[in-house]
Amino acid sequence: MENVLRDISSAIRDLGGSEKLEGLINEALSRNIAASDIVERGLRVGLEEVGAKYEACEYFLSELLFGASMMDGAMRILRPKLKKEAIEKKGTILVGTVRGDMHDIGKNIFRILAEGAGFEVTDLNVDVDPDVFMKETRDIRPEVLGLSCLLTTALPEIEKVISMLTEGKLRGGLKVLIGGNAVTKEFGQEVGADAAALDAVQGVDLCKGWVKP
Amino acid sequence: MTARERIRNAMDFKDVDAIPWVESFYEETLMKFFSEGLPANEIAVVEWVMSQDGLQILNWPKFMGFDPYSYFGCSTFWGRVVPVDIGPIPRFKQRKISENARHEEYIMETGARSRRLKKGVTKTTWYTMPQFYEFPVKDKKSWEQYKVRLNPEDPRRYPKDWEEDGYLQFLDEYEKGPVMLSITGFYAFGAELMGIPNFNVAFYKDPELVEDMLSHWEYFTIESVRQAVETLKDRIDMVFWWEDMAEKHGPNISPKLYREFLLPHYKKAIGFLNNNKICRIMMDSDGNTQAILDLAIEAGITGHWPLEVNSGMDVRSLRKRYGKKLFLAGNFDKREIAKGGEAMRKEIDSKLPLMKETGGYVAGLDHLVHVEFTLDRFREYAAYLKQKLIVE
Repeated sequence: MENVLRDISSAIRDLGGSEKLEGLINEALSRNIAASDIVERGLRVGLEEVGAKYEACEYFLSELLFGASMMDGAMRILRPKLKKEAIEKKGTILVGTVRGDMHDIGKNIFRILAEGAGFEVTDLNVDVDPDVFMKETRDIRPEVLGLSCLLTTALPEIEKVISMLTEGKLRGGLKVLIGGNAVTKEFGQEVGADAAALDAVQGVDLCKGWVKP
Repeated sequence: MTARERIRNAMDFKDVDAIPWVESFYEETLMKFFSEGLPANEIAVVEWVMSQDGLQILNWPKFMGFDPYSYFGCSTFWGRVVPVDIGPIPRFKQRKISENARHEEYIMETGARSRRLKKGVTKTTWYTMPQFYEFPVKDKKSWEQYKVRLNPEDPRRYPKDWEEDGYLQFLDEYEKGPVMLSITGFYAFGAELMGIPNFNVAFYKDPELVEDMLSHWEYFTIESVRQAVETLKDRIDMVFWWEDMAEKHGPNISPKLYREFLLPHYKKAIGFLNNNKICRIMMDSDGNTQAILDLAIEAGITGHWPLEVNSGMDVRSLRKRYGKKLFLAGNFDKREIAKGGEAMRKEIDSKLPLMKETGGYVAGLDHLVHVEFTLDRFREYAAYLKQKLIVE
């Protein structure tokens, strides 16, 4: 059992391609390995290693995205089986790009990686009104709210959302993560975010640290 | 020394009487500056042309836009551009698909679909890029369909009045800045047609498609510009090689993929330019490009702009690492410069002396002049910088 799971994680880590990965997943399933084990002990380990290589500058965006795309393909095979096994989600993340900013690439990469890491992610898309962040935070009660911002002109929106959350008494149990090109750690501290992520991998790592099963 | 000579010399690491200064303005920054007192009548450009674009046989003055560069005393890379159309021909007809109270969705001229903010819903309208949500090239089939529009032989790629002798004189007389040939790079072209995530993944998922796209782009680029390049030769002072291939963390594609896929095409395209005495090739890329700079130099890139500080780019360390292999342009932290006063002066003074001493530098911000600048702050920056640029 361990060998095939290790091969699965290696296939992702070494970017071996979807065909190879699917073959290994089918092999694991034929050996009656639970889909949840394949995900937790194979795929996610591999994707984490891709993230670590990205942070170490051994991999770049292309490799990160391909690793996530391999994971996504594998999940399409496993998802029907996971429903039956009722796999436990790591936690819930609400994410969106702040009002006045239409950029989405960084946010989308974060979403893909966070989903790959086992989080349930609700993506509010771009140009999100602070009231929408508030409403969805109240409704969904996520563990993490991710605010993305590329434009310096839109940075005040982050501050606005955070102060509305505080006024609305929604900060208890909620971590606010900010990210995007305009964001710096200093800015994060100034506006009262729990953390500022300099890239998507760092963002997901922070979420994992906050939301422990 | 004219601004054009100054920029050419700087890019060649030769002596200059002053470090050249180049900026680019967002349209919306200029509109803001107008509201703050920038005199539109003083920077308006009006030229005598055929009335109504040739619909009447009559000479008539036509409003051609604005020239804030002369007003502030800087140049632009885009002052005199070799007029070769490298877009899809025919263009996709730009049209609105849908709208709501805040957004409009369009099919753009490149064929991509985008969502953008409506005018008036925020303080700035055009400053934020649209959200591109669908791209014209998805696979081999859609690429083959698109390729038909990238025919270098199409006569519409050159203007109607393209006439070699006339252009030679026109370009010879230009002094305000460099004569520039704009080329869309191999990464930028693919990312524009497929979207960054799809194109990046395609390097692994469908390498044959990527290679076919890059091969065609090499052929298309060389053949499209051939007439202009072989006619104008070193009257073209520089090539503005647009790539935008990096984020804060590093390049969008790994050095391995760059070497395998991009480098051979770069070498052929830049080799063609070099054979025609066009040797100043400046890569335009935001983000942190450091991991691929050795390869870019191997490919034939000789300069780099805008060197975003927020992404970790720094002219001082780049100069130390690359010496005269790379001329550098930009890198004044736009956020610090926009603060004005001591922050602005400190940013300039921390970088300019070394660049004056070592040469091969074109001064300027580390991106376009953004909308958070006030006119007063930009004037203050211009006044301070201009006196510092003079080489004793």
